[in-house]
Amino acid sequence: MGSEKPSRYWKSWEEGPGATGLVQISTSEFPEPLDRPAEQFNRRSFLKAAGFAAAVAAAGAGCSRAPVEKAIPYLIQPEEIVPGVSYFYASTCGGCATGCGVLVKNLDGRPIKLEGNPEHPLSRGGLCAVGQASLLALYDSQRLKAPQAKGRIASWQEVDEQIAAQLASIRTSGGAVRVLSGTISSPTLNAEIQKFLLQFRDARHVVYDGLSSSAILDAHQQTHGERLLPHYRFNRATVIVSFDADFLGTWISPVEFSRDFADGRRIDSRSPQMSYHAQLESRMSLTGSKADRRISVEPHELGEIMLRIGARLAQLAGSAFPIAARTQDNSYDTVIEDLARRLWESRGRSLVVCGSQDVRLQILGNFINDLLGNYGATLDIERPSQQRQGNDANLQSLLDDLDKGNVAALFLHGVNPAYDLPGGQALVQAIERTPLVVSFAERLDETSALAHFICPDHHPLESWSDAEPVRGTLGIFQPAIHPLGKTRPVLESLAIWRGQPRPAYDILRDHWRGSVFPQQTIEPDFQTFWDRSVEAGYSEIRLKTSKPPRFQAASLKPFSQSSPAAGELSLVLYPKISMLDGRHAENPWLQELPDPISKVTWDNYACLSPGTAQRLGLREGDVVRLEVDIDAVHSPPLELPVFIQPGQHDQVIAVALGYGRKSTERFANAGPKWLFGGSDVDEDGRIGKNTAPMLALVGGSLQYIRDNVRLSKIGKRHALASTQTHHSLTMPRELPIVGGEHRDIVRETTIAALLAGEKKTVPVSPATNGLWPADHRYTGHRWAMAIDLTACTGCSGCVIACQAENNIPVVGKDEVLRHREMHWMRIDRYYTGEQDVDVVYQPMLCQQCDNAPCETVCPVLATVHSAEGLNQQIYNRCVGTRYCANNCPYKTRRFNWFDYVRNDRLQNLVLNPDVTVRSRGVMEKCSFCVQRIEVARIESNRVGKPIADGQIQTACQQSCPSQAIVFGDLNDPNSRVAQMARDPRRFGVLEEFNFRPAVNYLTVVRNRDSHEENSKVNQNNG
Amino acid sequence: MSPGMSHRVIIGVFDDEAMLLEATREFRAKGLKIIDVFTPYAVHKLDSAMGLRPSRLPWICFFGGCAGGALILWFEFWATMVDWPLNIGGKPWNSLPAFVPAMFEVTVLCAGLATVFAFLVLARLRPGKRPRTWFPGVTDDRFVLVLEESDARFDLARVRSLFQSFGAVSIEERIEEA
Amino acid sequence: MADFVLTTRAPLIAGNKTPADVTRDICHSLEGRPTPLWWGSFLFAASLLLLGTLAVSYEIATGIGTWGVNRTVGWAVGITSFVFWIGIGHAGTLISAILFLLRQRWRTSVNRSAEAMTIFAVICAGIFPVIHLGRPWMAYWLFPYPNTRGSLWVNFRSPLVWDAFAISTYFTISLVFWLLGLIPDLATVRDRLRGGFRQRLASVMSLGWNGSFRTWHRYESVYLMLAGLATPLVLSVHTIVSWDFATGVIPGWHATIFPPYFVAGAIFSGVAMVLTLVIVARKTMHLEDYITLRHIDVMCKLLLLTSGIVGIAYVTEFFNALYSTNPYEEFAFLNRAFGPLGWAYAIMVSCNVLIPQLLWFRKVRRTLWIVFPISILINVGMWFERFVIIVTSLQRDFLPSSWAGYRPTPIELSMLLGSFGLFFTLFLLFCRLLPVVAMAEVKGVLHVGREPRGPDPERVMVGSSAQGRGMDAAGIREGGPE
Repeated sequence: MGSEKPSRYWKSWEEGPGATGLVQISTSEFPEPLDRPAEQFNRRSFLKAAGFAAAVAAAGAGCSRAPVEKAIPYLIQPEEIVPGVSYFYASTCGGCATGCGVLVKNLDGRPIKLEGNPEHPLSRGGLCAVGQASLLALYDSQRLKAPQAKGRIASWQEVDEQIAAQLASIRTSGGAVRVLSGTISSPTLNAEIQKFLLQFRDARHVVYDGLSSSAILDAHQQTHGERLLPHYRFNRATVIVSFDADFLGTWISPVEFSRDFADGRRIDSRSPQMSYHAQLESRMSLTGSKADRRISVEPHELGEIMLRIGARLAQLAGSAFPIAARTQDNSYDTVIEDLARRLWESRGRSLVVCGSQDVRLQILGNFINDLLGNYGATLDIERPSQQRQGNDANLQSLLDDLDKGNVAALFLHGVNPAYDLPGGQALVQAIERTPLVVSFAERLDETSALAHFICPDHHPLESWSDAEPVRGTLGIFQPAIHPLGKTRPVLESLAIWRGQPRPAYDILRDHWRGSVFPQQTIEPDFQTFWDRSVEAGYSEIRLKTSKPPRFQAASLKPFSQSSPAAGELSLVLYPKISMLDGRHAENPWLQELPDPISKVTWDNYACLSPGTAQRLGLREGDVVRLEVDIDAVHSPPLELPVFIQPGQHDQVIAVALGYGRKSTERFANAGPKWLFGGSDVDEDGRIGKNTAPMLALVGGSLQYIRDNVRLSKIGKRHALASTQTHHSLTMPRELPIVGGEHRDIVRETTIAALLAGEKKTVPVSPATNGLWPADHRYTGHRWAMAIDLTACTGCSGCVIACQAENNIPVVGKDEVLRHREMHWMRIDRYYTGEQDVDVVYQPMLCQQCDNAPCETVCPVLATVHSAEGLNQQIYNRCVGTRYCANNCPYKTRRFNWFDYVRNDRLQNLVLNPDVTVRSRGVMEKCSFCVQRIEVARIESNRVGKPIADGQIQTACQQSCPSQAIVFGDLNDPNSRVAQMARDPRRFGVLEEFNFRPAVNYLTVVRNRDSHEENSKVNQNNG
Repeated sequence: MSPGMSHRVIIGVFDDEAMLLEATREFRAKGLKIIDVFTPYAVHKLDSAMGLRPSRLPWICFFGGCAGGALILWFEFWATMVDWPLNIGGKPWNSLPAFVPAMFEVTVLCAGLATVFAFLVLARLRPGKRPRTWFPGVTDDRFVLVLEESDARFDLARVRSLFQSFGAVSIEERIEEA
Repeated sequence: MADFVLTTRAPLIAGNKTPADVTRDICHSLEGRPTPLWWGSFLFAASLLLLGTLAVSYEIATGIGTWGVNRTVGWAVGITSFVFWIGIGHAGTLISAILFLLRQRWRTSVNRSAEAMTIFAVICAGIFPVIHLGRPWMAYWLFPYPNTRGSLWVNFRSPLVWDAFAISTYFTISLVFWLLGLIPDLATVRDRLRGGFRQRLASVMSLGWNGSFRTWHRYESVYLMLAGLATPLVLSVHTIVSWDFATGVIPGWHATIFPPYFVAGAIFSGVAMVLTLVIVARKTMHLEDYITLRHIDVMCKLLLLTSGIVGIAYVTEFFNALYSTNPYEEFAFLNRAFGPLGWAYAIMVSCNVLIPQLLWFRKVRRTLWIVFPISILINVGMWFERFVIIVTSLQRDFLPSSWAGYRPTPIELSMLLGSFGLFFTLFLLFCRLLPVVAMAEVKGVLHVGREPRGPDPERVMVGSSAQGRGMDAAGIREGGPE
């Protein structure tokens, strides 16, 4: 990857390589610069790309439905398409219902990478791990490529005929028609569903979310008379108190929240300021791990504490509080007083969020927020969020109907009830009893397997659609590739069954012309509005604001919470950042993504606090059986390995949702197979265990917390594939090093210390004048990176972004067990403290040291230093001594132990052509995305302008939701990276050894009065 | 021995290195021409007894080593600094200390091989060469002294008795075709 | 050394041997059929070799993933065995070259087999660096040769390149040295045997040697010079091997005492291996008269010495770590002794330092059934020493996030066994094909410590000559070859 030969990226270009030739020809060849996606979109060029894609896709996906008038093959090269040059199309992420904006990077007619759309009002450039990985699902060879009727492949025509026939009879008979879907933030699709349902007498659209927040909506139904989900604005809050809401990890809209949260906590070291965040939770969540004050509480205590904070605030506000708190214990008095005071002091600039599914607690939360005047400030209910619309009460009634057999036709979209609802076998039978079950699932999953007809939907990257995650903020899905299979958008299917067949594109346009365009005021005519929106990938429209509903105090009714006896265990079912509710379980990237907290891959497990594990005599990896009584019926017992989770409450067992999907059976061959290699899946052939049977749908809401859990050891063991075996920077007690007990790898300080101007004492400053002559001056560019550890939430979006950008293979569970994961970018997680722990995250990647120990020891010059400060790895020169990896102090080098599994030709279309696919036996590592540097260099050569700061964004930096990573030229004093490198908080890992790392870290800052308070916090809770 | 012409030699066989040593000294003192002495092992002090000059092989060893060392050192500098200079871990271009090990090894290698090669050439040894054995068992336990009956002054009888007096186990005369 | 005096007293070679006896005794093993014992051990060794060959083939066909190494511990059994075998090799050169320069004449009976051991050990050692590569078929890239890549040379700053030079030089010089030493004996074999493969082999390899003293004369100086070259060479080789680690930045590797420490360890393990071999050879090939208890005794003393040096090195490491006040360094050594692989450290210390202390007792040094197990235990210990240095240092280095364990796979262990198989196969073949004792050398020291032959009454000069002989009896054939 010699920086001196940019031409090598142009091998495919018959004009021949060479930057000079490039400059001449490109002026006529390049239609628009790479860094301005807005001008990219041009329907003709897209469709031509699509045409090419059809040819490419045909290789992997066989026959493809190619409307002749739209696609042209590459018999004549269209002048817009330059092979090897990537185009960006603005679209929306289909990973979940959150609807973040993305730029789809298209190369040679196929999407090879998703990037966050920097201009999108919500996500603002960030993209989470799930979003990044959703690209891989596009090339999933196990996606359904054609409709199925009664379990066999069918043509659309016969499927449509049969469905139409049955629907006709239902129309006459007046049977009940139900559409069961997850949250649909697409206004067009919602409208279409309504239109579709209109033709039936008894029809309803039931919505539920695997990760339900319906309690919040129900609560607002009662307190504000409108079933809505507020749009939380964390950037406007100076005090954030979260009751078990994992808003940085999996709660509603993590990318947006992460950015807002980080923006509220960006430290300008000259005048340090940051918001205060307290987290009360029973397990260790990603959000809790970033809290300034984290209090681990028993799940049932949550309500009690909320009550008392509410009461205290009411007292401060001098208003009535109808609920009497049971004040027999005063263990939390200090906490409550402190939090109440802080909240009260920053009225209107504070925010209380609650992740509980208990409507009464949510009402309490609304009361507190209203009392503090946060509505309209930090909670927006004029333009509420539509990212969670699930209504569990409706779901419950639907399930009853199904059970009674009252439903004539059931349409399933984007949900998998047979898997993620507690109903179990009963529900399965109920669905089977239903006369007509139609599923729009992209894959054959637990539920679609039961359906009579499967009418597979497009992948979001194949389809026209839209999204309105927040009222007034609309996103557009535009296809980035021609459909790989004979799938069909739901919009079209519904239209056809309504008897008015039309292409999805027209349906979408018409809906926008009819419903969206009139609401906006900027653009005079629809076509411009439409083009602008499609170009940008989103559109914000000024809604004529009606008066927002007010809080009705009457809704606050007394209640008392039963708290379980001491020592009794309750089960907390939580979503993992990678798996969520299991919707992406078949995605190997996400399966192999280490959980930010536990660092475990390829599994779910029973998290126990160290104390409880000790009390029960359990070690990590011991398999335990969990049993819960579900309304006096024994749930099927759950057998899971134990994971010991510091910071978790002693009376809690936390288990992740989303595992044990049938689709994970495909991973039996995820990794290399050899003589003594182990299995990549569990005994039952799947990854992890399904915990949905443990859920409870009671009182009109899905409950994720169960009491009276019985835990028993069954004497088996199950190895957990963890990528980190030692979890703290404190050395093991049995190896006492006087003075070296704690390693100064990550530095922490408090806002108070910063205000006091206290400098963290640097142990040893790197030798500035060594013995050597300065033979290597970095004139010209000098690439470097800066990572703000205060902003980093450990969300791991960067890890997957890097995997997608750099063709990093998936190695499978057995290889991870052998400590051979391949991620170039990893998030090191360290605990400090004993009972209540603090957590620090440290993204760790190749530090591109100036004095790189790896380079000196390579016998064959396979890793050398570039003139721009890059530590280059030359794959085809590497013989694989692994000496460099041994000698790397940061252990960021990865070795190709095997030829990794790449036999899925369709899946291989996701590979980035700009990055070599490494062969067996060579070393690899982070390259600072050198291919992006080269693209920028070519571009600057072309336009004859120097590379601007921020023009090059590494994959990890681009997707970071909290903007913690900055890459740039250290020799440019005004570049952001240079500025951050001058920040007093800056430190380099192990720089006392004079490795001269090019990655600068900024000290973790916590909003605390002093280090002492930290320890005080640790005493008075837990 | 001028080639082509035939000449007479007398061969004395001993079974003890000491006697051989004495005999050699004696004959040389008497100015008799010793063609060669054949022994199963290198008999100490026999070289001085035969009046052999010390070998010149050490010089070959020395110069061979110097040449090799100089060559590799030059090559290391040339390859590292001139032909394709690369920034290796920020190390200075002139990393002489790092060049020493290879230099040393090559020095030793060249010195050793040069010496052995020179030896084989000088001693006319080569694989599969047919040896010229004067007397069987010389590689076992016999010590053989070969004299040339050079000029007229050569008194065969006296030489024989001398051989006997040194306890030669057998004495024979031969006409050698060189 | 002390043995010098000792050798001038009692005879080096027992049983009043004449040169003819020597020839007969040594060549005896080359004549006639091999014993069942030989066949048994040969088949065993060969089957180990086969196992190793299969393992290596599978590894090369499948990938280094078939080893237990991982992203943190990149080197383990492979490189451990490499260093181990190199160490074994060193004793051969020590005995043939260094003791030669030190005028240790007792070496004559063992140096041939010791040199053979060197050759075979270096062969075994040389295999590991190649098969541990991710792409073994590219191994030749470690040597600077003209190529079309730019042209791209090697990194002369990398200890692995130094290794490549050191090992190949060491192998070449040792081989030449050995073959040179074989020439006169092969001539003996050539003249003794009647036809047959061995005879033909001998007549080719003896290069037409006819015992001419003019040749002997040059031969002596060549031998002396090779000995002089081999001595610094052998020291340099293990010094360079130790630099593989000493030049690294990993705590536990980055140590200045490694060169002497490694060289001593190498000689320690090598001599132990020589002992193991000669004790066996002595019994099975009836060489009690040539390899006497004194030889055993002397080598035991060498063990005692080197064991002491190694022991001091262990202590020094800890002191340095403590004295450095570098927490990473301190931790590395605490972890080495008390960490997850503490058991390996325990084996290392007990086998290398504690058990050899038995050799202080003369009785022990001269009791074969005690010396034999000790010599084997020492090599076990020395293998673990390298294992401990390599694995425990890598296992837990700077960033706790990357700490990892290591467990060898059957493939790796088969390779280790295979290397032993290769070694013993070669050695057994050597016993059958070539003279295991340097006859010409032994003949030269037969009368060391023996009464000189009585003077002949008639001849005065003979008596004087006898005196003269008596005078230089102590220093017979100083610096002479075999």
